[in-house]
Amino acid sequence: MIKCVVWDIDNTLLAGVYLESGAEPPAADRQLTGVLHQLAARGILNALASRNPPAAAAYVRQQTGADFAAVECGWESKADAIARIAAGLSLAPDAIAFVDDDMLERAEVAARLPDVLVLTPDEAAEAPDWPQFSPAVITAEARRRSQLYAERRHRQAAAAQFGRSRDDFLRQAGTRITIGPAGPGDLPRLHELSIRTHQLNSAGRPLTQADLAGLLAAPEYTVITVRLADDFGDDGLVGAAITTGNGASGGLAAPVPAVSVAVTVPLIMMSCRALGRGVLDALLAWLCRSAVADGAAELRIPCLVSERNVPMRLALATAGLRAEPASVAADGRAVFSRSLTGELPWLPDWVTVE
Amino acid sequence: MSTEQVSAVADELRGMLAQVTGRPELLGAPDGVRLFGAGVGLDSLAGTLLIRQVQRRYGVDVAAEDLNLDALETLGTLAAFIAARCQGAS
Repeated sequence: MIKCVVWDIDNTLLAGVYLESGAEPPAADRQLTGVLHQLAARGILNALASRNPPAAAAYVRQQTGADFAAVECGWESKADAIARIAAGLSLAPDAIAFVDDDMLERAEVAARLPDVLVLTPDEAAEAPDWPQFSPAVITAEARRRSQLYAERRHRQAAAAQFGRSRDDFLRQAGTRITIGPAGPGDLPRLHELSIRTHQLNSAGRPLTQADLAGLLAAPEYTVITVRLADDFGDDGLVGAAITTGNGASGGLAAPVPAVSVAVTVPLIMMSCRALGRGVLDALLAWLCRSAVADGAAELRIPCLVSERNVPMRLALATAGLRAEPASVAADGRAVFSRSLTGELPWLPDWVTVE
Repeated sequence: MSTEQVSAVADELRGMLAQVTGRPELLGAPDGVRLFGAGVGLDSLAGTLLIRQVQRRYGVDVAAEDLNLDALETLGTLAAFIAARCQGAS
Protein backbone atom coordinates (compact mmCIF):
# COMPACT_ATOMS: atom_id res chain seq x y z
CA MET A 1 0.00 0.00 0.00
CA ILE A 2 1.15 3.52 -0.78
CA LYS A 3 1.02 5.77 2.29
CA CYS A 4 2.57 8.94 0.86
CA VAL A 5 2.77 10.46 -2.63
CA VAL A 6 5.68 12.84 -3.24
CA TRP A 7 4.83 15.35 -5.98
CA ASP A 8 7.00 17.46 -8.24
CA ILE A 9 5.68 21.01 -8.82
CA ASP A 10 6.71 22.27 -12.28
CA ASN A 11 4.60 20.80 -15.10
CA THR A 12 3.15 18.34 -12.59
CA LEU A 13 1.00 19.95 -9.88
CA LEU A 14 1.29 23.29 -11.71
CA ALA A 15 0.33 23.60 -15.37
CA GLY A 16 3.66 25.26 -16.18
CA VAL A 17 6.99 26.25 -14.63
CA TYR A 18 6.82 28.33 -11.42
CA LEU A 19 9.98 30.40 -11.97
CA GLU A 20 9.49 30.99 -15.70
CA SER A 21 6.10 32.62 -15.50
CA GLY A 22 7.00 36.10 -14.28
CA ALA A 23 4.62 37.82 -11.89
CA GLU A 24 1.76 35.41 -12.56
CA PRO A 25 2.74 31.82 -11.71
CA PRO A 26 0.84 29.06 -13.55
CA ALA A 27 -2.44 27.68 -12.19
CA ALA A 28 -2.70 24.26 -10.56
CA ASP A 29 -3.32 21.23 -12.75
CA ARG A 30 -7.03 20.59 -12.17
CA GLN A 31 -6.99 16.84 -12.64
CA LEU A 32 -4.04 16.24 -10.30
CA THR A 33 -5.51 18.65 -7.73
CA GLY A 34 -8.52 16.34 -7.69
CA VAL A 35 -6.22 13.35 -7.17
CA LEU A 36 -4.49 15.15 -4.24
CA HIS A 37 -7.80 15.56 -2.44
CA GLN A 38 -9.05 12.08 -3.32
CA LEU A 39 -5.91 10.50 -1.85
CA ALA A 40 -6.02 12.69 1.27
CA ALA A 41 -9.62 11.58 1.91
CA ARG A 42 -8.37 7.98 1.84
CA GLY A 43 -5.73 8.71 4.46
CA ILE A 44 -2.83 8.83 1.97
CA LEU A 45 -0.38 11.66 2.64
CA ASN A 46 0.84 14.12 0.03
CA ALA A 47 4.30 15.70 0.03
CA LEU A 48 6.29 18.01 -2.24
CA ALA A 49 9.81 17.64 -3.67
CA SER A 50 10.71 20.45 -6.01
CA ARG A 51 13.69 22.32 -7.43
CA ASN A 52 12.13 25.64 -6.52
CA PRO A 53 12.30 28.19 -3.70
CA PRO A 54 10.06 27.45 -0.69
CA ALA A 55 7.64 30.14 -1.90
CA ALA A 56 6.63 27.72 -4.68
CA ALA A 57 5.36 25.22 -2.08
CA ALA A 58 3.34 27.91 -0.34
CA TYR A 59 1.90 28.89 -3.73
CA VAL A 60 0.95 25.25 -4.53
CA ARG A 61 -0.66 24.89 -1.12
CA GLN A 62 -2.75 27.97 -1.74
CA GLN A 63 -3.66 27.02 -5.34
CA THR A 64 -4.65 23.41 -4.58
CA GLY A 65 -6.00 23.86 -1.05
CA ALA A 66 -4.21 20.63 -0.14
CA ASP A 67 -2.19 19.83 3.01
CA PHE A 68 1.35 18.57 2.53
CA ALA A 69 2.83 16.34 5.22
CA ALA A 70 6.40 17.22 4.17
CA VAL A 71 7.97 19.75 1.81
CA GLU A 72 11.46 19.55 0.28
CA CYS A 73 12.34 22.56 -1.84
CA GLY A 74 15.92 22.90 -3.01
CA TRP A 75 18.35 22.11 -5.74
CA GLU A 76 19.81 18.83 -4.64
CA SER A 77 18.76 15.35 -5.78
CA LYS A 78 15.13 14.24 -5.62
CA ALA A 79 16.20 10.83 -4.31
CA ASP A 80 17.80 12.59 -1.31
CA ALA A 81 14.67 14.71 -0.85
CA ILE A 82 12.46 11.59 -0.90
CA ALA A 83 14.75 9.77 1.54
CA ARG A 84 14.47 12.74 3.94
CA ILE A 85 10.68 12.79 3.57
CA ALA A 86 10.53 9.03 4.24
CA ALA A 87 12.74 9.36 7.32
CA GLY A 88 10.77 12.35 8.63
CA LEU A 89 7.48 10.46 8.31
CA SER A 90 8.97 7.11 9.47
CA LEU A 91 7.86 5.47 6.22
CA ALA A 92 9.63 2.71 4.32
CA PRO A 93 10.50 3.54 0.66
CA ASP A 94 7.99 0.97 -0.66
CA ALA A 95 5.17 2.94 0.98
CA ILE A 96 6.05 5.95 -1.19
CA ALA A 97 5.09 6.96 -4.73
CA PHE A 98 6.87 9.74 -6.61
CA VAL A 99 5.30 11.75 -9.43
CA ASP A 100 7.41 13.86 -11.81
CA ASP A 101 7.07 14.87 -15.45
CA ASP A 102 10.87 14.89 -15.90
CA MET A 103 12.22 11.58 -17.20
CA LEU A 104 15.70 12.16 -15.73
CA GLU A 105 14.32 12.84 -12.25
CA ARG A 106 12.21 9.70 -12.46
CA ALA A 107 15.23 7.68 -13.62
CA GLU A 108 17.41 8.98 -10.78
CA VAL A 109 14.82 8.11 -8.15
CA ALA A 110 14.11 4.69 -9.70
CA ALA A 111 17.84 3.89 -9.71
CA ARG A 112 18.63 5.09 -6.19
CA LEU A 113 15.38 4.15 -4.44
CA PRO A 114 14.21 1.05 -6.32
CA ASP A 115 11.37 0.42 -3.82
CA VAL A 116 9.69 3.76 -4.53
CA LEU A 117 6.80 3.58 -7.03
CA VAL A 118 7.78 6.10 -9.75
CA LEU A 119 4.96 7.58 -11.85
CA THR A 120 4.43 10.07 -14.66
CA PRO A 121 1.70 12.70 -14.11
CA ASP A 122 -0.56 10.78 -16.55
CA GLU A 123 -0.16 7.60 -14.52
CA ALA A 124 -0.79 9.51 -11.28
CA ALA A 125 -4.08 10.77 -12.70
CA GLU A 126 -5.27 7.14 -12.82
CA ALA A 127 -3.67 6.11 -9.52
CA PRO A 128 -6.84 6.45 -7.40
CA ASP A 129 -8.19 3.42 -9.32
CA TRP A 130 -5.18 1.27 -8.51
CA PRO A 131 -5.21 -1.17 -5.59
CA GLN A 132 -2.02 0.28 -4.05
CA PHE A 133 -3.93 3.55 -3.57
CA SER A 134 -7.19 1.98 -2.42
CA PRO A 135 -7.22 1.06 1.26
CA ALA A 136 -10.03 -1.40 2.02
CA VAL A 137 -11.15 0.45 5.11
CA ILE A 138 -10.94 4.16 5.84
CA THR A 139 -11.06 4.79 9.57
CA ALA A 140 -11.37 7.95 11.63
CA GLU A 141 -7.60 7.76 12.17
CA ALA A 142 -7.10 7.66 8.38
CA ARG A 143 -9.27 10.69 7.67
CA ARG A 144 -7.37 12.67 10.32
CA ARG A 145 -3.99 11.44 9.09
CA SER A 146 -2.65 14.69 7.60
CA GLN A 147 -3.68 16.57 10.77
CA LEU A 148 -1.92 13.90 12.87
CA TYR A 149 1.24 14.43 10.82
CA ALA A 150 1.00 18.21 11.30
CA GLU A 151 0.81 17.63 15.08
CA ARG A 152 3.77 15.32 14.70
CA ARG A 153 5.83 18.04 13.00
CA HIS A 154 5.17 20.40 15.93
CA ARG A 155 6.09 17.63 18.38
CA GLN A 156 9.32 16.81 16.53
CA ALA A 157 10.34 20.47 16.39
CA ALA A 158 9.72 20.77 20.15
CA ALA A 159 11.66 17.54 20.80
CA ALA A 160 14.62 18.76 18.72
CA GLN A 161 14.79 21.93 20.84
CA PHE A 162 14.30 20.08 24.12
CA GLY A 163 17.84 18.66 24.30
CA ARG A 164 17.27 16.27 27.24
CA SER A 165 16.48 12.57 27.13
CA ARG A 166 13.55 11.10 25.24
CA ASP A 167 11.78 10.04 28.42
CA ASP A 168 12.10 13.55 29.86
CA PHE A 169 10.54 14.87 26.67
CA LEU A 170 7.70 12.32 26.75
CA ARG A 171 6.92 13.37 30.32
CA GLN A 172 7.15 17.07 29.50
CA ALA A 173 4.84 16.60 26.48
CA GLY A 174 2.14 15.09 28.69
CA THR A 175 2.32 11.69 26.96
CA ARG A 176 -0.60 9.40 27.84
CA ILE A 177 -0.58 5.73 26.85
CA THR A 178 -3.78 3.80 27.55
CA ILE A 179 -3.81 0.00 27.45
CA GLY A 180 -7.16 -1.76 27.51
CA PRO A 181 -9.27 -4.58 26.10
CA ALA A 182 -10.41 -4.31 22.47
CA GLY A 183 -14.11 -4.06 21.65
CA PRO A 184 -16.08 -4.74 18.47
CA GLY A 185 -15.90 -1.03 17.54
CA ASP A 186 -12.12 -1.33 17.27
CA LEU A 187 -12.23 -4.02 14.54
CA PRO A 188 -11.93 -1.73 11.46
CA ARG A 189 -8.93 0.10 12.95
CA LEU A 190 -7.30 -3.18 14.07
CA HIS A 191 -7.73 -4.56 10.54
CA GLU A 192 -6.23 -1.37 9.11
CA LEU A 193 -3.25 -1.59 11.50
CA SER A 194 -2.68 -5.22 10.48
CA ILE A 195 -2.42 -4.13 6.83
CA ARG A 196 -0.51 -0.90 7.27
CA THR A 197 2.07 -1.77 9.91
CA HIS A 198 5.35 -3.33 8.82
CA GLN A 199 8.18 -1.81 10.84
CA LEU A 200 6.42 -2.55 14.11
CA ASN A 201 4.60 -5.79 13.29
CA SER A 202 5.70 -9.10 14.75
CA ALA A 203 3.56 -11.46 12.64
CA GLY A 204 4.07 -9.92 9.20
CA ARG A 205 0.69 -10.95 7.82
CA PRO A 206 -2.62 -9.11 7.60
CA LEU A 207 -5.76 -10.15 9.51
CA THR A 208 -9.26 -9.67 8.12
CA GLN A 209 -12.00 -8.14 10.24
CA ALA A 210 -13.51 -11.64 10.44
CA ASP A 211 -10.19 -13.07 11.72
CA LEU A 212 -10.08 -10.34 14.34
CA ALA A 213 -13.73 -10.79 15.34
CA GLY A 214 -12.97 -14.50 15.80
CA LEU A 215 -10.01 -13.70 18.07
CA LEU A 216 -12.11 -11.25 20.04
CA ALA A 217 -14.77 -13.92 20.63
CA ALA A 218 -12.35 -16.77 21.40
CA PRO A 219 -11.98 -17.31 25.16
CA GLU A 220 -8.38 -18.49 24.79
CA TYR A 221 -7.25 -15.19 23.24
CA THR A 222 -7.16 -11.64 24.57
CA VAL A 223 -6.97 -8.67 22.19
CA ILE A 224 -5.42 -5.59 23.75
CA THR A 225 -5.46 -2.07 22.32
CA VAL A 226 -3.02 0.76 22.88
CA ARG A 227 -4.05 4.40 22.59
CA LEU A 228 -1.68 7.35 22.52
CA ALA A 229 -2.15 11.06 23.17
CA ASP A 230 -0.12 14.01 24.38
CA ASP A 231 -0.42 17.79 24.61
CA PHE A 232 0.32 18.09 20.88
CA GLY A 233 -2.60 15.88 19.81
CA ASP A 234 -4.51 12.64 20.09
CA ASP A 235 -3.23 9.80 17.91
CA GLY A 236 -6.09 7.47 18.84
CA LEU A 237 -5.68 3.72 18.58
CA VAL A 238 -2.03 3.21 17.56
CA GLY A 239 -1.34 -0.40 18.44
CA ALA A 240 -2.56 -3.77 19.60
CA ALA A 241 -1.39 -7.09 20.95
CA ILE A 242 -2.96 -10.52 21.09
CA THR A 243 -2.10 -12.78 24.02
CA THR A 244 -2.82 -16.40 24.83
CA GLY A 245 -1.84 -18.90 27.50
CA ASN A 246 -2.17 -18.99 31.28
CA GLY A 247 -5.90 -18.42 31.09
CA ALA A 248 -5.36 -15.61 28.59
CA SER A 249 -6.81 -12.97 30.83
CA GLY A 250 -4.00 -10.75 29.57
CA GLY A 251 -4.03 -9.23 33.04
CA LEU A 252 -7.25 -7.47 32.13
CA ALA A 253 -9.60 -9.82 33.98
CA ALA A 254 -9.26 -11.66 37.27
CA PRO A 255 -6.29 -14.08 37.15
CA VAL A 256 -7.23 -17.60 36.19
CA PRO A 257 -5.38 -20.53 37.77
CA ALA A 258 -2.30 -21.21 35.70
CA VAL A 259 -2.70 -23.91 33.07
CA SER A 260 0.72 -23.34 31.54
CA VAL A 261 3.82 -21.47 32.54
CA ALA A 262 4.11 -19.14 29.56
CA VAL A 263 2.07 -16.32 28.06
CA THR A 264 2.45 -16.19 24.28
CA VAL A 265 1.88 -13.06 22.20
CA PRO A 266 1.01 -14.16 18.64
CA LEU A 267 0.81 -10.58 17.38
CA ILE A 268 2.08 -7.13 18.27
CA MET A 269 1.45 -4.33 15.81
CA MET A 270 1.89 -0.61 16.11
CA SER A 271 1.55 2.42 13.87
CA CYS A 272 4.84 3.98 12.77
CA ARG A 273 3.51 7.25 14.18
CA ALA A 274 4.21 5.75 17.61
CA LEU A 275 7.90 5.18 16.73
CA GLY A 276 10.20 7.17 18.96
CA ARG A 277 7.48 7.78 21.57
CA GLY A 278 8.16 4.85 23.85
CA VAL A 279 4.81 3.15 23.18
CA LEU A 280 6.09 -0.27 22.11
CA ASP A 281 8.57 -0.32 25.01
CA ALA A 282 5.71 0.51 27.39
CA LEU A 283 3.48 -2.19 25.88
CA LEU A 284 6.23 -4.81 26.26
CA ALA A 285 6.84 -3.75 29.86
CA TRP A 286 3.12 -4.06 30.56
CA LEU A 287 2.89 -7.47 28.79
CA CYS A 288 5.62 -8.75 31.13
CA ARG A 289 3.72 -7.51 34.19
CA SER A 290 0.36 -8.83 33.05
CA ALA A 291 1.91 -12.25 32.34
CA VAL A 292 3.36 -12.25 35.87
CA ALA A 293 -0.10 -11.36 37.22
CA ASP A 294 -1.44 -14.39 35.33
CA GLY A 295 1.12 -16.60 37.06
CA ALA A 296 3.37 -17.13 34.02
CA ALA A 297 7.10 -17.61 34.35
CA GLU A 298 7.93 -16.82 30.73
CA LEU A 299 6.82 -14.38 28.02
CA ARG A 300 7.08 -15.68 24.43
CA ILE A 301 6.73 -13.53 21.34
CA PRO A 302 6.98 -15.27 17.96
CA CYS A 303 8.31 -12.79 15.42
CA LEU A 304 8.91 -12.91 11.71
CA VAL A 305 12.53 -11.82 11.27
CA SER A 306 12.64 -9.52 8.25
CA GLU A 307 14.51 -6.50 6.95
CA ARG A 308 11.42 -4.40 7.49
CA ASN A 309 10.62 -4.99 11.13
CA VAL A 310 14.07 -4.25 12.56
CA PRO A 311 12.49 -1.64 14.90
CA MET A 312 10.28 -4.42 16.32
CA ARG A 313 13.32 -6.63 16.93
CA LEU A 314 15.17 -3.75 18.58
CA ALA A 315 12.26 -3.24 20.96
CA LEU A 316 12.13 -6.97 21.76
CA ALA A 317 15.87 -7.01 22.47
CA THR A 318 15.59 -3.89 24.64
CA ALA A 319 12.82 -5.55 26.66
CA GLY A 320 15.17 -8.46 27.32
CA LEU A 321 13.70 -11.00 24.88
CA ARG A 322 16.07 -13.27 22.98
CA ALA A 323 15.69 -16.00 20.34
CA GLU A 324 17.93 -18.98 19.66
CA PRO A 325 19.59 -18.31 16.26
CA ALA A 326 19.41 -22.04 15.42
CA SER A 327 15.64 -21.99 16.03
CA VAL A 328 14.78 -19.60 13.19
CA ALA A 329 12.30 -21.45 10.99
CA ALA A 330 12.58 -21.69 7.20
CA ASP A 331 9.88 -19.03 6.84
CA GLY A 332 11.95 -16.61 8.97
CA ARG A 333 9.93 -16.99 12.18
CA ALA A 334 11.65 -17.19 15.55
CA VAL A 335 10.29 -17.25 19.08
CA PHE A 336 11.73 -14.48 21.25
CA SER A 337 11.30 -15.14 24.94
CA ARG A 338 12.33 -13.97 28.37
CA SER A 339 12.02 -15.20 31.91
CA LEU A 340 9.69 -13.16 34.09
CA THR A 341 11.75 -13.53 37.23
CA GLY A 342 14.13 -10.75 38.17
CA GLU A 343 13.98 -7.18 36.98
CA LEU A 344 11.26 -6.36 34.43
CA PRO A 345 11.55 -3.57 31.85
CA TRP A 346 10.57 -0.11 33.08
CA LEU A 347 6.88 0.81 32.86
CA PRO A 348 6.49 4.62 32.67
CA ASP A 349 3.99 6.20 35.06
CA TRP A 350 2.12 7.79 32.12
CA VAL A 351 0.72 4.38 31.17
CA THR A 352 -2.90 3.85 32.25
CA VAL A 353 -4.51 0.40 32.25
CA GLU A 354 -8.24 0.26 31.66
CA MET B 1 41.70 -6.36 13.86
CA SER B 2 43.77 -3.75 15.64
CA THR B 3 42.70 -1.75 18.68
CA GLU B 4 43.32 1.43 16.64
CA GLN B 5 40.84 0.18 14.06
CA VAL B 6 38.20 -0.50 16.71
CA SER B 7 38.68 2.87 18.36
CA ALA B 8 38.53 4.65 14.97
CA VAL B 9 35.21 2.92 14.31
CA ALA B 10 33.99 3.81 17.81
CA ASP B 11 34.81 7.48 17.15
CA GLU B 12 32.79 7.46 13.94
CA LEU B 13 29.93 5.72 15.77
CA ARG B 14 29.86 8.52 18.34
CA GLY B 15 29.32 10.96 15.45
CA MET B 16 26.47 8.82 14.07
CA LEU B 17 24.88 8.50 17.51
CA ALA B 18 24.97 12.26 18.04
CA GLN B 19 23.39 12.69 14.63
CA VAL B 20 20.56 10.14 14.89
CA THR B 21 19.60 11.30 18.38
CA GLY B 22 20.23 15.03 17.87
CA ARG B 23 22.24 15.01 21.10
CA PRO B 24 25.76 16.40 20.49
CA GLU B 25 26.89 15.45 24.03
CA LEU B 26 27.02 11.82 22.83
CA LEU B 27 30.25 12.72 20.96
CA GLY B 28 31.83 12.22 24.40
CA ALA B 29 30.07 8.92 25.22
CA PRO B 30 32.46 6.28 26.65
CA ASP B 31 32.90 2.90 24.86
CA GLY B 32 31.27 0.96 27.69
CA VAL B 33 28.03 2.93 27.80
CA ARG B 34 24.90 0.89 27.06
CA LEU B 35 23.06 2.01 23.94
CA PHE B 36 19.55 0.90 24.98
CA GLY B 37 17.74 1.28 28.26
CA ALA B 38 19.63 3.12 30.98
CA GLY B 39 22.67 4.71 29.32
CA VAL B 40 22.29 6.36 25.92
CA GLY B 41 18.60 5.39 25.99
CA LEU B 42 18.33 4.77 22.23
CA ASP B 43 14.81 3.94 21.10
CA SER B 44 13.93 1.60 18.26
CA LEU B 45 13.65 4.48 15.79
CA ALA B 46 17.10 5.91 16.53
CA GLY B 47 18.47 2.35 16.70
CA THR B 48 17.15 1.58 13.22
CA LEU B 49 18.66 4.78 11.82
CA LEU B 50 22.00 3.85 13.40
CA ILE B 51 21.86 0.37 11.84
CA ARG B 52 21.18 1.95 8.42
CA GLN B 53 24.09 4.38 8.77
CA VAL B 54 26.41 1.55 9.79
CA GLN B 55 25.35 -0.44 6.74
CA ARG B 56 25.93 2.52 4.42
CA ARG B 57 29.31 3.42 5.91
CA TYR B 58 30.83 -0.05 6.49
CA GLY B 59 28.68 -2.42 4.43
CA VAL B 60 27.96 -4.38 7.63
CA ASP B 61 24.29 -5.35 8.03
CA VAL B 62 23.97 -5.76 11.80
CA ALA B 63 20.24 -6.57 11.57
CA ALA B 64 20.87 -9.44 9.14
CA GLU B 65 23.91 -10.85 10.93
CA ASP B 66 22.83 -10.60 14.54
CA LEU B 67 19.36 -12.04 15.31
CA ASN B 68 19.24 -10.72 18.87
CA LEU B 69 21.06 -7.46 18.06
CA ASP B 70 23.43 -8.09 20.95
CA ALA B 71 26.13 -6.27 18.95
CA LEU B 72 24.27 -3.08 19.85
CA GLU B 73 24.76 -3.56 23.58
CA THR B 74 27.45 -0.91 23.94
CA LEU B 75 29.36 1.42 21.66
CA GLY B 76 32.41 -0.80 22.17
CA THR B 77 30.66 -4.07 21.25
CA LEU B 78 29.25 -2.46 18.11
CA ALA B 79 32.65 -1.08 17.09
CA ALA B 80 34.26 -4.51 17.60
CA PHE B 81 31.47 -6.22 15.63
CA ILE B 82 32.00 -3.85 12.70
CA ALA B 83 35.81 -3.94 12.81
CA ALA B 84 35.78 -7.75 12.82
CA ARG B 85 33.74 -7.74 9.62
CA CYS B 86 35.59 -5.14 7.62
CA GLN B 87 39.13 -6.35 8.08
CA GLY B 88 41.29 -5.42 5.13
CA ALA B 89 38.55 -3.14 3.83
CA SER B 90 40.24 0.05 4.99
